[in-house]
Amino acid sequence: MNKSLHPLVWWIWAGSLATAVAMTSSIPLAFGVVGAAGLIVRRKAEKAPWAKSFAWSIKVGTWVIVIRVLTGVLIGVPIPGRTLFTLPIIPLPDWMAGIRIGGPVTFERLSSTAHDGILIAAIIGLLGAAASLSSPHRLLRSMPVMVYEFGVTIVIATSILPQFVTSVSRIKEAQRLRGHESRGLASWRRIALPLFEDSLSRSLDLAAAMDSRGYGYSRKRSKYRNDHWTTRDYALCAFALLVFLRPEYLLIIVALSPLVLAP
Amino acid sequence: MIKFTNVSLIYPNSQQTVIEDLTFTVAEGELVLVMGSTGIGKSSLLRLINGLVPHHTGGILAGDISVNGISTQSVKPGGLAHLIGIVGQNPLNGFVTDTVEEELAFGMETLNLPPDVMRKRVEEILDLLSLAQLRNRSLATLSGGEQQRVAIGSALVMHPKVLVLDEPTSALDPVAAEEVLSILHRLVHDLGLTVIVSEHKLERVIQFADRIIHIQGGGQTQIGTPETIFASSALAPPIIHLARAMNVSEIPLSVRQMRRLTEPIRKHLSEITPDVVHTVDKAKIVVKVDRMSISYGAKEAIADTSLTICAGEIVAVMGRNGAGKSSLLRAIVGATSPSKGAVSIVGKDPFSLHGKERTELVGFIPQEPSDLLYGQSVREECSQADADNHVASGETFALIQTLVPGISQNTHPRDLSEGQRLSLALSVVLSAQPQLLVLDEPTRGLDYTAKVSLISILKEIAHAQDRAVIIATHDVELVAELASRVIFIAEGEIVADGTTMDVLLSSPAFAPQVAKVMSPSPWLTVKDVLTAMRNNP
Repeated sequence: MNKSLHPLVWWIWAGSLATAVAMTSSIPLAFGVVGAAGLIVRRKAEKAPWAKSFAWSIKVGTWVIVIRVLTGVLIGVPIPGRTLFTLPIIPLPDWMAGIRIGGPVTFERLSSTAHDGILIAAIIGLLGAAASLSSPHRLLRSMPVMVYEFGVTIVIATSILPQFVTSVSRIKEAQRLRGHESRGLASWRRIALPLFEDSLSRSLDLAAAMDSRGYGYSRKRSKYRNDHWTTRDYALCAFALLVFLRPEYLLIIVALSPLVLAP
Repeated sequence: MIKFTNVSLIYPNSQQTVIEDLTFTVAEGELVLVMGSTGIGKSSLLRLINGLVPHHTGGILAGDISVNGISTQSVKPGGLAHLIGIVGQNPLNGFVTDTVEEELAFGMETLNLPPDVMRKRVEEILDLLSLAQLRNRSLATLSGGEQQRVAIGSALVMHPKVLVLDEPTSALDPVAAEEVLSILHRLVHDLGLTVIVSEHKLERVIQFADRIIHIQGGGQTQIGTPETIFASSALAPPIIHLARAMNVSEIPLSVRQMRRLTEPIRKHLSEITPDVVHTVDKAKIVVKVDRMSISYGAKEAIADTSLTICAGEIVAVMGRNGAGKSSLLRAIVGATSPSKGAVSIVGKDPFSLHGKERTELVGFIPQEPSDLLYGQSVREECSQADADNHVASGETFALIQTLVPGISQNTHPRDLSEGQRLSLALSVVLSAQPQLLVLDEPTRGLDYTAKVSLISILKEIAHAQDRAVIIATHDVELVAELASRVIFIAEGEIVADGTTMDVLLSSPAFAPQVAKVMSPSPWLTVKDVLTAMRNNP
């Protein structure tokens, strides 16, 4: 049977890559690894709501870089070096001595904040890739029973979320066709009310369905299927951990390894 | 199996009893149909059986209900999970997990069944309901009929003695509905399962029912065999209306029976051809679709389609679930922009329309009419529409009063019945006097009375006011009564486009009941046949 990888394996793979990126602290490698992870997501991710996590994490990462650079340039300790331009200094009260807003912006300060931002973004991107590649439901199922009970709640919440997103776009569209443009605060009221009703009736339906299927009635729950680790799973894990030997050489190779090792 | 003893039900904050002093027993292996107008308490009755009402909804219940000897008063719904399987109106809302196989297993996991038992039962159900190819599919990607089958499967997997289904075919196309009903029929006959089912589209189910519970409102309930119920009930499928009008000796429940009873009348009518009632002047083109394609990613929803619709036409768009009906409609109203080709409404691109210009050209009623509504009361909704469309204050409310007389201004839109809510959305849209009205599956929860009024409104708009109407629906009987032209879509392509008569009669699955009875003569509606009978005694 062509069984897809154990979800934990993807997290180990992404986790080791992220750690290795932080260890090497190299920008070209960070870009390379995220690019490779993007390729893997494109090739291996299933068609599921969570497959969009990678795209989302890249967006979040970009914002992290922008915000990190902005705050780094505006606030903080000046690093001496080549001055690019000077911002007006905002006077602060005495008790805030040591902090400066504005002032000369040096090339060194800019590059060091951008460097940090890119590394953080790369780590976010890698975790996003893992989220894209592994079903959160399967991941929770492989957790011990104690966590599992809690997990079922999360599973339900996550399966409601995409429905919520579709509801929003459906209602927005209907309102647009009624001739109401969805802009500004007033339009939120128009969307929020039908949306709230819609979600409420959905959750009542779901609660009723779960109730009548015996959810929570018996204290013990059995598991339909346990996820077993295959040789492939072990192989990819071992390979992912190899990255720590020589991160600077192995990083990209390990990032691309699922192309060969994953079914 | 199921025993109701003097059951009465009243909801909190309500003066009206939903059910009053109802007593009946359902034997093992019976298929019982619950019928009644919308909002009259069918769902409540079904949910009483496993105790969801009142345990889950609140309300006061008098009398006793017992299933297989267990009283629902002493046990919560969860405690009856092994005994009663319940399938809700919209199965997608009741799904807990994300793939077919996991969904089937969910109920057994909660009952703490050992894994080997679960594996065996899942395989059994996959085979029984022919779901084996779908086992790893994500539930959200299934078609309506498949979802319904999974929902039935996930109830059956617990080996219940009673299966309760709330409108299992209302969202399905005729073919998928047939599939679901034949499964139910088989379960009753092969496994001795007791089935309680509610349905609006009576023509689909009455031939399978052993008994019918007819909820008449105001606490009145009538219980009996289909023959006794339909001897008097005003709520009846076309075949019964036809039989009454033709004065046949028995109450026919199936097309076969009706054909047997009407042989002489049919022979008499076979020489007459129906006259075309309404001709459309093809001069005023409202919608023009020119070689349009719509694709979502790699999937092509509509492929290279051309189409013109003129003023005065009522066009029904039919086809399987997922055939591309909604995509076509959405492109026509300008919700999406086509990937190739062009759409124009009276010469304008609908995608670029805004505000008043849009509402005056095209009105759209989505599948959930409540998406359009956000007011806190009917009054607020109507005055908003008046203001939006620059019409005299009170005009929208006057409009809704002609559609549903006696509607209260202060009612919250959520508290309206399905039919009333549709009428409210219709009046809001119609107050702008659009050139084109588009409705996506408007009859999901509508009973016959509401349908009759919908038909007269739409005919008035199209014929008297010379507008174009497009309606996507699975409801064959509605199409037969309403539409002047039918477009049949399969796999994103128009496979048939012609007069209602030509298209409906050429496909056995999509033919209305009257046409099946009168075949090979081309008759579609009870009214047509009656007029012909009157004119040719």
